Amino acid sequence: MRHHRRLALGASLLATLATLGAAGGAIVSAQEQPTVRVGSDDFYESKLMAEIYAQALEGAGYTVDRQLGLGSRDTRAPAFEEGQVDLVPEYVGSGLGYYVLASDDPGLAALAVGGDGETNRANLQAAYMLLGIEATVLGMTPGEDTNAAAIRADTAAELGLSKLSDVPAVADQLVFGLPPECETRPLCAGALEQYGIDFATIQKEALAACGAEIADALAGGAVDFGWLCSTQPAIAQNGFVVLEDDLDTQPAENLAPVVRDDFLAQLEGGAATLAAILDPVSAAITTEVLTELGVRVAIDQEDIEDVAADFLAGLAG
Amino acid sequence: MSGLEALLAYLTDGGAWQGSAGVPSRLVEHLVLCALAVLTASLVALPLGFYIGHTGRFQVLGLNLANIGRAIPSYAVMVMVFPVALAAAAPIGYDPRLGLTFLPIFVAMTLLAIPPILVATFAGIAEVDRDVVESSRGMGLTERQILRRVELPLGLPVIIGGFRVATLQVIATATLGAVLSGGGFGRFIIDGLARRDEGMLYAGVVLVAALAIGTDLLLAGLQRRFTPRGVRVASGEEVVEAIGDLGSVAPPSLRRA
Repeated sequence: MRHHRRLALGASLLATLATLGAAGGAIVSAQEQPTVRVGSDDFYESKLMAEIYAQALEGAGYTVDRQLGLGSRDTRAPAFEEGQVDLVPEYVGSGLGYYVLASDDPGLAALAVGGDGETNRANLQAAYMLLGIEATVLGMTPGEDTNAAAIRADTAAELGLSKLSDVPAVADQLVFGLPPECETRPLCAGALEQYGIDFATIQKEALAACGAEIADALAGGAVDFGWLCSTQPAIAQNGFVVLEDDLDTQPAENLAPVVRDDFLAQLEGGAATLAAILDPVSAAITTEVLTELGVRVAIDQEDIEDVAADFLAGLAG
Repeated sequence: MSGLEALLAYLTDGGAWQGSAGVPSRLVEHLVLCALAVLTASLVALPLGFYIGHTGRFQVLGLNLANIGRAIPSYAVMVMVFPVALAAAAPIGYDPRLGLTFLPIFVAMTLLAIPPILVATFAGIAEVDRDVVESSRGMGLTERQILRRVELPLGLPVIIGGFRVATLQVIATATLGAVLSGGGFGRFIIDGLARRDEGMLYAGVVLVAALAIGTDLLLAGLQRRFTPRGVRVASGEEVVEAIGDLGSVAPPSLRRA
């Protein structure tokens, strides 16, 4: 009996030590590989970019907690600012516009949203600093996904439309498919007004930008003008004509990961460590790549995880 | 600004009550959609319910179909109907905009309203005391007369109960239509979410709830009015509760089995 008791005691001591050791090891590895919470907007391209960055980080040994599809920027940006997520993919143009265009602050208003990607990116970083948002904008993609004013090919032919300046003359003949938040977005309603399109009086339908529904509505004739995204596969699929933004109202929209500084502080080497992993990935994403991957996700209905994995495998190989 | 403050600020702003995007216009849009859906659903569910209730045939089939109907999410119906409604616009000759803003949500809401009306109708008819029905037959009434003059008046409180359930569900779920640019109170919810306008969002929620509750109270009053003297009001309410979990409603003939 004593022999058994000693064995039992010894076994339980070993078990305790093993558990403590594992826990201690887990604590140590948690410090070496912090968990990064990756978020995104609720449309496919944002989720795809977030998934690509997430898998790149996992490949480098990080644990990723995904919170994709948080909502439109109006929901996702506050979530990022309040620390619900650590990293989100951001479009440097409309991301900058979100902070500066509706602002009365002269310092912010001076950070022009323009047609040059690098300038927008630098201005976005400056805007974060002015607003006290502790975040860093990492390297951006050469590829862009701008807002695209799309019409059907037959509408273009019938009304002779090739650029947005052509639209005001025939605006009363068109039904405009615009996102529900367009009215309050300077880059949407504001841009239309710049062309002389009277937002208040045009016929419109409220459909989320860049979605499948707005593309279907445009193809099916429920709307004649749709606010799509330039890398959206539906454009090529349906033969839509993208109206030229001749007044350059829409900004350069390269993508870049933005990361919270309090997360970067946990890393040895801070922003540089993360940039070393993510910048090469971003650098490989051209507009063609964005469109191609978009076709696989939105048309071929492939899983975002698979498409992201294939893309990253292609980089490594 | 707290959520409550935002809500009050939104509702006390005169602008929210004017124009085609104001509360009264959206109320009309919402009511028209819901009324059309419930009406169309009853065109299907009432005749079927009368037949099943009066003859006692196909009760199990009716219950099962109703259960299946309730299991299909309205959003899925809307999304499936949408491309069909667009494609059919040109051949049939209606404005494709209707195929976006009206038809998908209308079909979804009609399908949502059918099960409660169907089950309440056949349960209400079948629950009428068989002795009363038999003596009516003995008095020489035809089957149709029995249905019209005996079973329907006695079963009416239960049938109205079914309309109450259907109307409540439709009013609450019709907000989905706003996803496809539909009108009604759903607009406040979808637009409020898209624009991060808390006041608008909460206003939409409160308005839908108020409309649903208000309509339910109205229909409850109707239910009481149509309860024949001498018949307990409770029977109508008991069955309405039972309709809430379909399957526990077993008309007398089933229980004997």
